[in-house]
Amino acid sequence: MKNRLKVLRAERDWSQQDLATRLAVSRQSVNAIETGRYDPSLPLAFRIADVFGLAIEEIFLREEKPTAD
Amino acid sequence: MSGGEPIASTRSQGFWVGIYLASVGVIGALKLTDAIDGPTGFILLAIATGALMIPMRRAGACTSAAMATYNRRVLLSSFGYVLGLGIAVTLWNGYELSRPLVFAISLLPTLPTFGIIWAMARYIAEERDEYLRHRTIMASLVALGFVLAIGIFWGFLEMFELVPHVWAWWVLPVWALGLGMAQLWQKVRGA
Repeated sequence: MKNRLKVLRAERDWSQQDLATRLAVSRQSVNAIETGRYDPSLPLAFRIADVFGLAIEEIFLREEKPTAD
Repeated sequence: MSGGEPIASTRSQGFWVGIYLASVGVIGALKLTDAIDGPTGFILLAIATGALMIPMRRAGACTSAAMATYNRRVLLSSFGYVLGLGIAVTLWNGYELSRPLVFAISLLPTLPTFGIIWAMARYIAEERDEYLRHRTIMASLVALGFVLAIGIFWGFLEMFELVPHVWAWWVLPVWALGLGMAQLWQKVRGA
């Protein structure tokens, strides 16, 4: 799943470790989520949303399905 | 809970692993050349395991508190395994033991390996970081597939007398090998 974590972090000048500390997870977790290798559970997605003060759908982007024409 | 900066000592974990493997190699060479007897070899191995696994563990930057606890439990179990195996083999080689006693001494190296399995189960239950837990579960499944595949293949090769008999306790080292390879693969892929 695509997400805006990297941009949101950069806007706040947070390193991956900064975000990891705020979420109480490992830096590897932040890296894996940010690069789309791991989709977080719903509770963790809510925690991420809370940390950024945004709604989940403003951080995680729906995969675009090809439309059948 | 994870999230804090891991603490590592000045020497890398690779350094201590290298020293440990070198010690095991030297002890093995001394035993093979009959420079030392079996009990001395096991005592030296137990000392090397006890003395070197602590700095080896400390040098490794643990990614979470659960991982640190897991490492401590595995360290203790491994030490118990080497000690138990040494005592069991020494008694087996040196004395004429009754069947109940043989059963009892076979438990000496067995129970610590149960400790390793228990430590892995506890780690998965105690790990609060869902991504690290996911990674460990995936690596464990790969290791399980590895040991099943090797075991089945070896079993048929053995049945058709192409390979020698292998003791069943080899499942744990083979599983650990599979786990190590899976974790290495995860590291290489950046997963």
